Amino acid sequence: MFETGVSGFLSSDMRLHISLTFIITITASCGTADSRKIRGISPSYKRFYRERKSFLCIDGSKMIPFEQVNDDYCDCEDGSDEPGTSACPRGRFYCTNLSFRPHYIPSSRVNDGICDCCDASDEYNSHARCQNTCWNLGQRERAYVEGQMRTLDEGLQLKQQLIEEGVLLWREKQAQLRELQQVAEDLQIKLEEHRRKKHEAERLREQTLKALGAGDSSVRRENGSSTFNFLDSNKDGSLTVEEVQAKVALVHDEERLLSEDEAVALLGGGRLMDLTLFQHTLWDVLTKADSVKIRGSLDAAGRVVAEDLEASDGEWEATNQKKVEEAYDTVNMEISDLRKKLTIDYGPDWEFLFLNSQCYKLKVYEYTYTLCPFNQVTQRSTAGADVSLGRWGMWAGTPHNQYSQMVYESGEPCWQGGSRSTTVTLTCGTETALRSVREPSKCQYIMDFQTPVACQPVLKQRGIHSEL
Amino acid sequence: MATFTERMAPVLVLWLAVSLSGTWAVDKGNFKTCDQSSFCKRQRALKPGESPYRALLETMELTNTRLTLQLINDNNKVRLLLELYRLQGNITRVKINELKPLKLRYEVPDVLIRDPPTEPLSLLSQDENGVVLSLGAESQRVIVSARPFRLDIMEGREVLMSLNSRGLLAFEHLRMRKDTSQADPEAEKKEETDPAKQAETAKEEEEKVEDGMWEETFKSHSDSKPNGPSAVSLDFSLPGVEHVYGIPEHADTLRLKTTENGDPYRLYNLDVFQYELYNPMALYGAVPVMLAHNAQRTTGIFWLNAAETWVDISSNTAGKTVFGKMLDYVQGSSETPQTDVRWISESGIIDVFIMLGPTPKDVFAQYASLTGTQAFPPLAAVGYHQCRWNYNDQEDVTSVDAGFDEHDIPYDYIWLDIEHTDGKRYFTWDPHKFASPKEMLQGLMDKKRKMVAIVDPHIKVDTNYKIHNEIRSRSFYIKNKDGGDYEGWCWPGSAGYPDFTRADMRDWWASMFAYDQYEGSMENLYTWNDMNEPSVFNGPEVTMHKDALHGAWEHRDVHNLYGFYVQMATAEGLIQRSGGVERPFVLTRAFFAGSQRYGAVWTGDNAAEWDHLKVSIPMCLSLGLVGISFCGADVGGFFKSPSTELLVRWYQTGAYQPFFRAHAHLDTPRREPWLFGPENTALIREAVRQRYTLLPYWYQQFYHAHRTGQPIMRPLWVEYPEDPATFALDDEFLIGRDLLVHPVTEEGARGVTAYLPGKDEVWFDVHTFQKHNGAQNLYIPVTISSIPVFQRGGSIIPRKIRVRRSSSCMMHDPYTLYVALNPQRTAEGELYIDDGHTFNYEKEFIHRRLSFANNLLSSVNLAPDAQFSTRSWIERIVILGASKPSKVILKTDDGQESQLEFDFDSSMSVLTLRKPGMNAGVDWNVMLQ
Repeated sequence: MFETGVSGFLSSDMRLHISLTFIITITASCGTADSRKIRGISPSYKRFYRERKSFLCIDGSKMIPFEQVNDDYCDCEDGSDEPGTSACPRGRFYCTNLSFRPHYIPSSRVNDGICDCCDASDEYNSHARCQNTCWNLGQRERAYVEGQMRTLDEGLQLKQQLIEEGVLLWREKQAQLRELQQVAEDLQIKLEEHRRKKHEAERLREQTLKALGAGDSSVRRENGSSTFNFLDSNKDGSLTVEEVQAKVALVHDEERLLSEDEAVALLGGGRLMDLTLFQHTLWDVLTKADSVKIRGSLDAAGRVVAEDLEASDGEWEATNQKKVEEAYDTVNMEISDLRKKLTIDYGPDWEFLFLNSQCYKLKVYEYTYTLCPFNQVTQRSTAGADVSLGRWGMWAGTPHNQYSQMVYESGEPCWQGGSRSTTVTLTCGTETALRSVREPSKCQYIMDFQTPVACQPVLKQRGIHSEL
Repeated sequence: MATFTERMAPVLVLWLAVSLSGTWAVDKGNFKTCDQSSFCKRQRALKPGESPYRALLETMELTNTRLTLQLINDNNKVRLLLELYRLQGNITRVKINELKPLKLRYEVPDVLIRDPPTEPLSLLSQDENGVVLSLGAESQRVIVSARPFRLDIMEGREVLMSLNSRGLLAFEHLRMRKDTSQADPEAEKKEETDPAKQAETAKEEEEKVEDGMWEETFKSHSDSKPNGPSAVSLDFSLPGVEHVYGIPEHADTLRLKTTENGDPYRLYNLDVFQYELYNPMALYGAVPVMLAHNAQRTTGIFWLNAAETWVDISSNTAGKTVFGKMLDYVQGSSETPQTDVRWISESGIIDVFIMLGPTPKDVFAQYASLTGTQAFPPLAAVGYHQCRWNYNDQEDVTSVDAGFDEHDIPYDYIWLDIEHTDGKRYFTWDPHKFASPKEMLQGLMDKKRKMVAIVDPHIKVDTNYKIHNEIRSRSFYIKNKDGGDYEGWCWPGSAGYPDFTRADMRDWWASMFAYDQYEGSMENLYTWNDMNEPSVFNGPEVTMHKDALHGAWEHRDVHNLYGFYVQMATAEGLIQRSGGVERPFVLTRAFFAGSQRYGAVWTGDNAAEWDHLKVSIPMCLSLGLVGISFCGADVGGFFKSPSTELLVRWYQTGAYQPFFRAHAHLDTPRREPWLFGPENTALIREAVRQRYTLLPYWYQQFYHAHRTGQPIMRPLWVEYPEDPATFALDDEFLIGRDLLVHPVTEEGARGVTAYLPGKDEVWFDVHTFQKHNGAQNLYIPVTISSIPVFQRGGSIIPRKIRVRRSSSCMMHDPYTLYVALNPQRTAEGELYIDDGHTFNYEKEFIHRRLSFANNLLSSVNLAPDAQFSTRSWIERIVILGASKPSKVILKTDDGQESQLEFDFDSSMSVLTLRKPGMNAGVDWNVMLQ
């Protein structure tokens, strides 16, 4: 059976034999079974490997002679008979890794020529020259974990501040919202006032229009008093040459301004005309003659009158109303913006709120990336313009911690369809900064974003200490 | 990290403008039809009928090794010289050239591995109508008929093949140009003054000057054609043949179709963007070899010509329905089925090797004796390859590598596409993204893994680039028609194309792979030659202008050889860098006859579609038939993004094809095996693990392909040549002769129907050990985890079931032997072991025959002179179809006997022998009692 290259099995068999002798000795002296020398098992599994005549596969599927444990042949479906060899496809090998972290490796990594366990225990029969590196690794890991712990402690303190700031910010924003809402209300009242006035003016205008309607009986009934009022710009109860010149025109083929003489003539030769005289003289001329019109119109004196009425009574009123409307719209937009911002989930303590108005940059080779949290991600090449890598989408972390990842979607469209998107992973750090950007697939960016608010107290309970 | 357009702006815009046209399928308008290729149109216009060629029997000379004979074209009196050779191994070679060509015509060098050894020819009879020659020892004769000229190869009373029987031999002799003003302005003047005389002259010459003879344009490209028309063509009739195969590369069925209603199959190496399936369009590679098969005989035609070639196939039964055929049979009126084939090439000579079989294996051996066999790859190359355009930087490589360990999926090679270079300058590394390549390669080496980096043959024109400067200073670039260096657009922008047809250029190229030349390279870095058709984005049909110059020859003459030479030179480079010790591994996209000697090929830029998965089977089967066994398709599909189901099915299929590499386009989302949820990761892991357990068997197949030229992935008819039910099957295949694979290639499949061949045979499901009878269509219900694979009863297959990180990690692992008994309760198999990576296998290896008969399983040395020792041992023997023994005795060569433990599963009749433990390299036997 054993020709070249079988020395490994001989030695492992021998080792097993030696260990059996050892076990028997112990058994004899202590009266308890000991499986300390079964290779590749963790302390918690020792109970399955007590030296007996036979071994029951851990899944209970099969009973085999105990010599067949770790004999480099897979008997159990679950691989439990070969914890220390590579024989079982589904097996696993326990690296004790004293001074470091113990862990399991797949059985296929036992004696494959590659050092996997830092204590070199997986390569007991291979050409690989493995050093025990556990102590160094442990040191490094401890240093690393300590560093992490410091970072975490610091990060958590900073986070607390940021939470407090966040709460304040939140309140501030809420107050801001309320303020804006108040402003909006005030503006609305003003606006309504304006509207009411406008409405009144309109009503008045309509009346005037009716009154001015040529050939309309109501106009005659009105006897020209409102037209008089209209012409009487300075409201002194009498029309002057200047007032007539300003608002009355001669019409032949075209509208023409009145000369002073013509105005005097219209005023019956005098320089002033009161209402009574107007009603008996000029009013008749204005309503009946074709050659004289209220200015600005060839055929629809009423319209011009109405416009001028509005201008005189409402010009200021209108621009004012427009301003109020604009202000009202602006405030409403601000409110909706703020509301939208406030509907974003900033974490249970609003700790992510402070990021809202910030942007973070990172240069990678020829590109500068900008992350504006809860807003957008962009990329700018040294030469080119900004390319959107996505707008704020949602939190997309694990169910355990949904705040560990953000997604920005619907950026600029891609060459082959779809649009750019960015996934931002948040990690705990003492400062807030963009640490790395990658594009593993075309148009799908991955960012590593460090910030104290990503620090989680639970981390503190993990680390190597508990497992050592 | 830029956008695609930003990064490649100049090149891509150009390329895509040419090739995209806004649709997904290939833009056929970019590639010529036969009608658009003037020589094809001219030649195809000739219809079968009386040949103008006559054999001048009085010119016949017969020596011991060859017969020569002049042929005359009675229309134009131009004489041709026919040479006929009988080659060793039942091959007849027919060469036809002009007797006195105006200048030399191109004869393809470097493809034949040697001057093929000849056998004596002897004259049997002769009269004024022809001669009869005896072909070697068998009862084969060749009849040369004089008027019109034709050749008939007979065996007994049966005609095996006829040449020029349809009168389609055509040989456009080289001539002086008569019609142009440039050539002779004086003459033109004369002709103008005397049109009557001009007409007369033309009539006398019987030569019409047609469009496209002296100049041809396609789209915006013009081909100057200084040598004028030079096409050659010949027809072959195959009586009794209804099935022809081969002439890759086409995205088509295994069985070739008749071409009467469309274009002929085209052989012209082209970079076809988003190629379409099931049509005769040319693709990246060309092997002008066709196999003809019927239940009695297999023959082959090897048309050794590297110019653009078209192959027409017609058949007298193609149009007939099954009923029509039956009617013929009943009425006894059926003519013999016959397939007619016609080859048309643009230039060169007619040099054709007629391989006369009679078995498929004989044809493979015959073809191998001419062009060599599959290179024996390093074992690792038979493992799984992880590729993507692109792994972005070293960190990316490290994390993908770690991903495989984390998910416990083995792989051997990780690949880097063009983005790893410094600005598409091959042999360099991007200074930021791959700043320390050796560190990266060492990291992979520590895990016993390897890397492939791309090296394309287009060289960036850049005076700061060493490779360019050296090529230019040595004048190694291909020249344009005016004598300057040819420049085209490719990935780097403006690029030159080294003239790989020059041996001195190839030597220099090979020297560039030396570790001190190729900075950052290490012994675990291998090479991928892409774009070697050659691809020229702004050239006609995305390739080089035919009037470009390779020394005295036009690109027209050598086109289909370019990729062949690129891979040859690269493989030589990898051999040389190790001092001739290590086996190279080079993947190529373009290929020609003989490319099998230099490495692997893949089916180019396919797409993530179910039909592309399906067609990967006939495409690789066709390549295997013509010697190129190391074939695979991009797993997952290159363009587009596969559904998870398609990806899983593709892994399951790819795991059972010779070259197993996943690849993806730059624009597609990531698709490493673990990105689709734990269930799919497990399915992919299982497929890859099945590949790794079978590596000993795969490697043994490569060894055989290398030794004998037999294909690895085989159509069923190759092993069951008498069973017509197998002739058109191309949704299943054999690996070697013992494993039958029917991959699931239908979306949402709930079952597949596999044909299990062999009337008296049985097949064992390799997963369940269920036994099935041969010669039946077996319906197999499938789930997403199913990969229907069967082991032939009568075979023994070695596996290594301890699947590890990479094939190298499994080097010393023990074997499990799967002995599948046939109804006679016997089985045979082999075990081949060597160091897995050096050329020492020529002397140092283990090759054993394993056989089971009379309840005795034994291992016998097939290579007693070979030296090799292994640490591997036999850990388990599984006998399928066994009965329960009372005891099992192992006897080793030192005479020691021991009793083996065993387990018997009576429901499946499976006997498992526990840990026999003997070394795999020694004699032993196991007796069941």
